[in-house]
Amino acid sequence: MLKVAIVGCGKIADAHAAQIQRIPGCEIIGTCDREELMARQLAERFHVKRYYDRLDILLREGRPDIVHITTPPQSHFEIGRQCLEAGCHIYVEKPFTIDAAESEELIGLADRAGLRLTVGTDEQFSPAARRMRALVQDGFLGGPPVHIESTWCYELGDGAYTKALLGDDQHWARTLPGGLLQNTISHGIAKISEHLRGTSAQVTACGFVSPFLKKLGETGLIDELRVILQGEGGTTAYFTFSSQMRPSLHEFRIYGPKNGLAFDEDQQWLIKLRGERHKSYAEKFLPQASLAKQYSVGFFRNARLFLANDFHMSSGKKYLIGEFYRSITDGAPVPIAYREILLTSRIMDAIFAQIGTQAPLSPGGPGRKPER
Amino acid sequence: MTSLEKNGNGNESRHAAESTRGSRLSRGLRTGGETGIMRPVRGSELATNDGIATVDDPVLVTGAAGFLGPSVVGNLLDKGFRRIRCLARPTSNLTRLEKEIALRNGAGQAEIVGGNLLSREDCSRLVKDVPLIYHLAAGSGTKAFSDAFLNSAVTTRNLLDAALENACLRRFVNVSSFAVYTNRRKPHWRLLDETCPMEGHPESRAEAYGYGKVKQDELVIDYGKKHSLPYVIVRPGSIYGPGKDFIPGRVGIDSFGLYLHFGGGNPIPFTHVENCADAIVLTGLKTGIEGEVFNVVDDDLPTSRRYLRLYKKNVRSFRSVYVPHAFSYLFCCLWEKYSEWSHGQLPPVFTRREWAATWKKTHYSNRKIKERVGWKPSVPTSEGLRSYFESCRNTPAR
Repeated sequence: MLKVAIVGCGKIADAHAAQIQRIPGCEIIGTCDREELMARQLAERFHVKRYYDRLDILLREGRPDIVHITTPPQSHFEIGRQCLEAGCHIYVEKPFTIDAAESEELIGLADRAGLRLTVGTDEQFSPAARRMRALVQDGFLGGPPVHIESTWCYELGDGAYTKALLGDDQHWARTLPGGLLQNTISHGIAKISEHLRGTSAQVTACGFVSPFLKKLGETGLIDELRVILQGEGGTTAYFTFSSQMRPSLHEFRIYGPKNGLAFDEDQQWLIKLRGERHKSYAEKFLPQASLAKQYSVGFFRNARLFLANDFHMSSGKKYLIGEFYRSITDGAPVPIAYREILLTSRIMDAIFAQIGTQAPLSPGGPGRKPER
Repeated sequence: MTSLEKNGNGNESRHAAESTRGSRLSRGLRTGGETGIMRPVRGSELATNDGIATVDDPVLVTGAAGFLGPSVVGNLLDKGFRRIRCLARPTSNLTRLEKEIALRNGAGQAEIVGGNLLSREDCSRLVKDVPLIYHLAAGSGTKAFSDAFLNSAVTTRNLLDAALENACLRRFVNVSSFAVYTNRRKPHWRLLDETCPMEGHPESRAEAYGYGKVKQDELVIDYGKKHSLPYVIVRPGSIYGPGKDFIPGRVGIDSFGLYLHFGGGNPIPFTHVENCADAIVLTGLKTGIEGEVFNVVDDDLPTSRRYLRLYKKNVRSFRSVYVPHAFSYLFCCLWEKYSEWSHGQLPPVFTRREWAATWKKTHYSNRKIKERVGWKPSVPTSEGLRSYFESCRNTPAR
């Protein structure tokens, strides 16, 4: 039985606890938060026997095999380091760390200790994303990807998070090197990293404050981002982040030398984009019939998954957690290669450096990292 | 539930989100235009100030910019209080609060202060020399249980600790909600009053706000026992009034493209915002009621059916279908079973507990607060609904 602990008992911890409890062969043995009441409420709601307000005591007394780190990103590295030094595997909520240097160091620590880690970019493991991956691995694209388009939107509405973020100059998301973007874009970037080669990419980024935010008097919070990328193998990518465009898409498209694929994270459809063209007027009708058929098949596939009780909202998270645990118990490969984690961190660093979010937002002063 | 053990008590490992400090509001006098407009004193007159606080004592109102807060501040101004500290969140819309203050020419008597109850430093600053606290702030508008808990229970704990440290607190008025009642196993069958039990498993209802409120009430009661906190708990029903266009969940739901009317002939426990504010203010001033709970509902409550009919006639028309209680109970029962069986593929939004709390036929009483506190609703329900519907017509529908 794997002993699991959760450190950081905010909103995202609920999703972790719920999915961990759906996985056989593991048990949450403790929750931990520096605010004791928060640790306690999570423990009560998920019937966890013990709760802690100190990580060192959790690690010493609870002796977990795996620690899920669901704290704000500024603390990921330090908590991750302590857990690895205590011999625990770690599942780190996204974004993995605040910069690539920390990512490298954490991965190095895990490697040297013979431990495993992963990052919570679970959208890469939703049912449609997994079908897409299988098709890519089967060679549907007809070769290495030529071009990728990843769109990841975040609706700045009147939700609690948005209100807190806009209303507080010292909100923790603002103190990240990449501000709001750092806490939101890693899902979309990680999907690109999966299909690029190597551990570096050329990045050209353009970021700005949307007219919507400017109207509210906001000048420092970049919420619109366009990025052009080129990986080591020559594959290019566009990444779009927007708080304003509608529909608020979470869409991914990948094009190979023969065919392409597109999938939508929210609606869970996957569409094959055939590279061959039909003759004459057939091109005006047959592709649309094919698309209609694919959407219909997608509808029934989703319905079948739902009826089979395999279509939970957080199915990607459950799958990722399950695969990560399997990599620990069975020695299977980690579900997200460390190369991808590093590449995602480096791309994000490059973006933030170019659009100028990297220096001044830390409460510690210009250019300083938050204190650990 | 599994028994809990507590381990560790230090604070060296700092894991949770940094408490959000600072704000765009200045930490001092912020508003209150001197319009010169005179306004008649509303609400119940307190024959004497029973000694909890004089009009010259500082009074803290948290959540002052919420729906209820401006009316509470206005009521305190009407009663002559001159040092009202109005806590507003950094993102709050201050329009209504500023208007209430300006209407009473209360710029010098009520100051709007920014602050965050998650910050212990802010709490200490806010409660300094304050003998009377009206705690209205709560974690509403979130579906996340942890957020609701953080913004209801943790904030209340911080406020209570600061107030106890300040050592001049004479009354803590904790504004709660009917959402904390289980509405099952009531001592008086259909009557929901202050003797009814609180929800024992609030986490099993899909209402984060109610969960936060139960935990907040438990905390206040616990502080009363352990630290002799001089508290009173006020539990309003559905607060309505101009500026809040809503159909209470007790009437029905609008989830499937059609309005499902579940309430039928159930009375809706309405309280007009001005009546509710008056009740809250009075419970802060009356002696001899420490540790008591008071429900607040108006007289002449409309049934769900009547309210829906009036709303459709006076505000906007839409299609609705009445679902008899037996069917709504069966629906909730089936949903709950499926949610359990599927490990949450459908979240447990409709459960038997939720049905009991929201749609079970229930009557309400305001007898205790009338008898013990001397409150009486000054805005009759008919007049309250009329002005409310008028306000709804003049504001965009949600």
